[in-house]
Amino acid sequence: MNLLIFTPVLPEIAITIVSMFLLIIGVFKKNEKTYSTISNLAILSLLVVLFLIFSGSVPKGVSFGGSLITDSFSLYLKTLILTSSIIILIVSNIYLRNINLLKFEYIILVLLSVVGMMIMVSSNDLISLYLSIELQSLPLYVLASIRNKSSKSTESGLKYFVLGALSSCILLYGLSLIYGYTGSIYYNEIASNLSEYDVGILIGVAFTLAGFAFKISAVPFHMWTPDVYEGSPTTVTAFFAVAPKIAALGLIVRILITAMPNLIADWQSILILLSIFSMLLGAFSAIGQRNLKRLLAYSSISHMGFALMGVINGSFDGVRSLSLYMLIYLVMSLALFISIIALKTNDEHIENIEDISGLAKINPVMALIISILLFSLAGIPPLAGFFAKFYVLYAAIDAKLYYLAIFGVLSSVISAFYYLRIIKVMYFEESAISFDPISKRLKTIIYLLTAITLLFFLRPSIFINFAGTASASLFI
Amino acid sequence: MIVVSLLFYLFSFIMIASAFMVILSRNPVHSVLFLILCFFNSAGIFLILGAEFLAFILVIVYVGAVAVLFLFVVMMLDVEFKSISSTVISYLPIGLTIGVIVLAELMLVLFTWKRDYSVTDNLSITTDKQYSNTEIIGLVLYTDNILFFQLAGLILLASMIGAIVLTVNHRPSAKRQDINKQVERDAESSIKNIDMKPGSGI
Amino acid sequence: MNPIILDYLPILIFIGVAIVVSAALMGSSFILAKSNPDNEKLSTYECGFEPFENARVKFDIRFYLVAILFIIFDLEVAFLFPWAITLGKIGVFGYISMMIFLAVLTVGFVYEWKKGALEWD
Repeated sequence: MNLLIFTPVLPEIAITIVSMFLLIIGVFKKNEKTYSTISNLAILSLLVVLFLIFSGSVPKGVSFGGSLITDSFSLYLKTLILTSSIIILIVSNIYLRNINLLKFEYIILVLLSVVGMMIMVSSNDLISLYLSIELQSLPLYVLASIRNKSSKSTESGLKYFVLGALSSCILLYGLSLIYGYTGSIYYNEIASNLSEYDVGILIGVAFTLAGFAFKISAVPFHMWTPDVYEGSPTTVTAFFAVAPKIAALGLIVRILITAMPNLIADWQSILILLSIFSMLLGAFSAIGQRNLKRLLAYSSISHMGFALMGVINGSFDGVRSLSLYMLIYLVMSLALFISIIALKTNDEHIENIEDISGLAKINPVMALIISILLFSLAGIPPLAGFFAKFYVLYAAIDAKLYYLAIFGVLSSVISAFYYLRIIKVMYFEESAISFDPISKRLKTIIYLLTAITLLFFLRPSIFINFAGTASASLFI
Repeated sequence: MIVVSLLFYLFSFIMIASAFMVILSRNPVHSVLFLILCFFNSAGIFLILGAEFLAFILVIVYVGAVAVLFLFVVMMLDVEFKSISSTVISYLPIGLTIGVIVLAELMLVLFTWKRDYSVTDNLSITTDKQYSNTEIIGLVLYTDNILFFQLAGLILLASMIGAIVLTVNHRPSAKRQDINKQVERDAESSIKNIDMKPGSGI
Repeated sequence: MNPIILDYLPILIFIGVAIVVSAALMGSSFILAKSNPDNEKLSTYECGFEPFENARVKFDIRFYLVAILFIIFDLEVAFLFPWAITLGKIGVFGYISMMIFLAVLTVGFVYEWKKGALEWD
């Protein structure tokens, strides 16, 4: 009986046990240092798990009767998710202290959500898919409104929750149709039962994709993104922007490639629409934004459009470009969010673009770093963002979807406009305010991530091979 | 048998009628009460289908807990009753459009669905007479589907933590009973003799 | 016809009797009793004053917390029913599986207790 084989999911089990252990410690040990103790323990255990995954000690294979699969692709995504959550936890320790929000539950919720994401990228049937999405999003709803004294934070949590619940309904409806027409919840059996063409299955696929689009905030299911990004504490926003999207994209790729390869013509057209609309709307709407977090929300919508381009063809090259895109997107956007968190004026965190006017004169290093990151997000060579966009565009051209590639380039050009505007504000406008010094730990993280963005072009093959071996496991 | 079909029509008629009343009644509290009626009737339909477990879970969880929560929420929100009815008209077109789309899709599914008997025949546990359907669920949920079961437990844990984090907000000034403190208390620590001089305060 | 329905026949009859009795009681008082309402009779009486405010006031959020914690444990109990009747067949594995589930929720319960979520103030 292969039920008892659970060594491939030991990382998830370990994090679950750690999170419950820390919950008990946190509630029994009430003093000033509780938060940092728990945070350090959580970071330590995540690092251990990350090391175990990275060193290849986690065995591959299916577990729980085929419900979960651990292959190179899921391990690759788990690496990304763990990395981003470790960075977020380190930064949160500093940020939450500043805004006086040291609730130890924050860490527990992040850990539980990470467990959900790790199961999401491993899930190999429809029920574990749905349950893991719920396990991932419930803690996120709470994290969005964890600043429960601020009405904006509460509002963002409520909006996120209501729309998230709606999207779960839509997703569940789609999944139940898929199950009804194929008679199985397992991806491989769905793929083999899908030979017959049916209207119902198409409706099921459309509903499922709509539910997924909510989770990665692709247009036209993006309405919640700007408000939620603006209202949540900035570290939570950074977490939203990266980890859940990586997990959801991984899940989309797996279900489309392994469960519905026969329906490629049908889901391809839906994804093309989602991709084009996301890229264009993300680019156009960001132009009018004054709030940095809202601007980054639209920017992330646009980036999701780009990332979706990778899966459209359903080919190995496409998935590889998407995997690479997620890695580079993680590095760039985390670095940019942390830079925003790092900049303070008289203990007030900056919010708007005007707040960083004249940054170049006061703190030229930070101004340079932010410019590098923005150039990279815009896709200017030779920065990492250029390679990310280059490979997905290449995948689109490879699939003979020239118009899609043209839309991609077009939206990239438009988005360069608002990225450049921030740089103009930093370099060519006068500043009336000064900035507080930046803590060493934040500086180290920012420098490290920026260095990866900047020096990516020296040895791109390392990352591309990494993404390549991961994606290859989907096409066996 | 005719009694069963009569029961089915009775339950489904009351269910649909009360579902309409949920969205049409002006008083939100009445809406919730109609929702409970709706749940009861769907439980009846589940019973007709032979799904006892689902029927009783529906009554225990939805009527017993969720509907009560809804009542609390409705009361907590303190909604102005008249303002609701005025917004109904403005949301009617978009609501109807979505409703019609979903209905059309359901119709499409209903009329194109060909039941594949090979699928139900291959199930590991068939719905035969020797097990009741609660037993059938029990036989697979805790062993074959242990992952789903434990994930459900984790989701419940996460929601518990979430609800507490967001709502527990103790005032530090609140006076609470501490039994240990009460038991430990003795005369020496609580009574103090003071020499009072006439004409002065403490 | 499904044999399960027959098991519930007494309940059905009971519901039928309940409906008939309550309809008869309410209907007879509606038909037989004298009813002669006027404006003053129908108005709310509150110690001789006009009512000061609406009877519906905002509830404290703590009621909501109690209700939501109740739902969570209610769901937990729902999982216990099928387990209880199949325990003999699912063996030690099924037993351990439920113990893990209960342990997870007990962790939540300990947290809830220590956090003071069950105390009113």
